[in-house]
Amino acid sequence: MRNLFLFFREHYFYFLFLLLETFSLILLFNYNEFQGSSLYSVSNAVSGSVNNMFNGISEYFSLRKTNRVLIEEMAKLHSRIPEAFYVTDVNVFYKKDSIVKLEYKYISAKVISNSTNKRNNFLMINKGSMHGIENHMGVIIGNKIVGQVVSVSPHFSWIMSMLNKDSRISGKFKKNNQLVNVEWSGGNYRKGQVREIPKHIVMYKGDTIITSGNSDIFPEGLMIGTISGFKNPQDENFNNGEILFATDFNSLGYIEVVVDLMRKEKEELKASFKSPQ
Amino acid sequence: MTSRTVFFNILRFFFLILLQVLILNHINLNGYINPYFYIYFILLLPFDTPKWMLLIVSFILGWSIDIFTNSIGLNASACVLMAFARPFVISAISSGPESLLGDTPSLRNQGVKWFLYYAIILILIHHFTFFFLEIFRISEFPYTLVRVLLSSAFTLLLVLISEYMLYPRGK
Repeated sequence: MRNLFLFFREHYFYFLFLLLETFSLILLFNYNEFQGSSLYSVSNAVSGSVNNMFNGISEYFSLRKTNRVLIEEMAKLHSRIPEAFYVTDVNVFYKKDSIVKLEYKYISAKVISNSTNKRNNFLMINKGSMHGIENHMGVIIGNKIVGQVVSVSPHFSWIMSMLNKDSRISGKFKKNNQLVNVEWSGGNYRKGQVREIPKHIVMYKGDTIITSGNSDIFPEGLMIGTISGFKNPQDENFNNGEILFATDFNSLGYIEVVVDLMRKEKEELKASFKSPQ
Repeated sequence: MTSRTVFFNILRFFFLILLQVLILNHINLNGYINPYFYIYFILLLPFDTPKWMLLIVSFILGWSIDIFTNSIGLNASACVLMAFARPFVISAISSGPESLLGDTPSLRNQGVKWFLYYAIILILIHHFTFFFLEIFRISEFPYTLVRVLLSSAFTLLLVLISEYMLYPRGK
C-alpha cells in the first residue's frame, strides 16, 4: 500500500496530466450533454456579460451603417402598409380575418459575439428564453439567412452560424424550384458549397438559391446566395456548385429570430402519421 | 518564485485572455490564420513553477478561453498537452546550466536559438492538437495542416514581437 502511494507520488505529473486531459476530452466529445448542465449556464452568463460590455463599446463604430440599414428597412416597410397604396378602382376588396393568419413572428436581437474564422462558427445574441426564443429556431438578417438557435439561456441564445460543419441548409433554385443542399466546407467565409444538384439542371453563374421551406426552420423564399461557379464531375450522380453567400457573416449587427407559430401543429401532424402496414 | 513574479503572471493571465477573446479571435485572414497568442502565458511561466501547478494553470487558462468560444474542452486539452510537454522540451533543448539563467524563459536570457526551438515546438504542439480536435475529420487533413502551419507562424511572430518589445536587447 505504501509502495503504491509512493509510486503515485513519484509519477503524479503523469497521472495529473492524464486526468486533466481525459476530463477535457470527455467534455469536448460529450458537448451536447454538457450544454444541459448548470456549469454551462454559469459560464454562459459570464461570457455573455463580458461580450455584452465589449459590444456596447464596439457598437458605436457601426452606428452609421446600422442607421442606413434601418432606414432602408423602414422604407421597405412603409411601402407595404395599406396607406401607401393608391386605390385605382372603386371596387374595394377587404380581407377577412380568417383568410390570413400569422404564421411567422420575428424577434429582433443584437449580436454580441460572432466569429467567421473557425471551422465551426457560432454567434451569441442578447435575447433568450425569456423573450420566447427556443431551440431550432431560424435566425435571419433582412431577408438573408444566418443560422439556427442551438441553445438558449434566460437572457442569451447561442446560434450555430451557417459557417459550421454541422450546418446544412435545404435550399432551392429560384428559377425552377429544384432542391439542393447548401453547406460550408471551411476557408473563405463568403463562399459555400451547393451539393446534390441533379445532373439535368442547367446552371449559370448568378443563379439565385433561396430557402426551400422544407426544414421547418426558415420560411420559404429567403435569400441564401448566388451561384459563383460549378463543377460537373462525370463519375458522380450529382453536380456540385459554389455559392456566394448573400449574408456578410462578418458584419452582423442586429438579427431577427424566426418564430414559426404553427410549428407545433406541423410537428404534431408529422407525429400523428402512422404508415399503413 | 517571488510574489512579484506571481503578481505579474496573474496580470498577464487576465490580459492575454481578454486580448485573445476580444481581439485576436476576430482576426480572420481568408479562413487560414487564427493566432492563439494566449499560450504565450504558458511559454512565460517561471522555470521553477511546480509541475502540478503548470498543468492546473494551463487547464484553467484553456478552460477560460473555451468559455468564451463555447468550445468546452477544446482549448483546455490543447493547453494541458502543451504544459505536459514543456518540461520535456526544456530538458531536451538545454545543453548546460547556463541556458536556464533567469526566472522565466526569454529571448534575452536564453538566446535566440534556444528560445526559437522552445517556442516553435510548443506552439506547434498546441496548434496541432487544437486544430485537429476542432475539425476531427481526416478528410480535411491537408486544409487543416495548412491552417496549423500558417497559424503557428503567425502566433510565433506575435510572440517574437512581444519578446523584443518587452525585453529590448542590450538592457
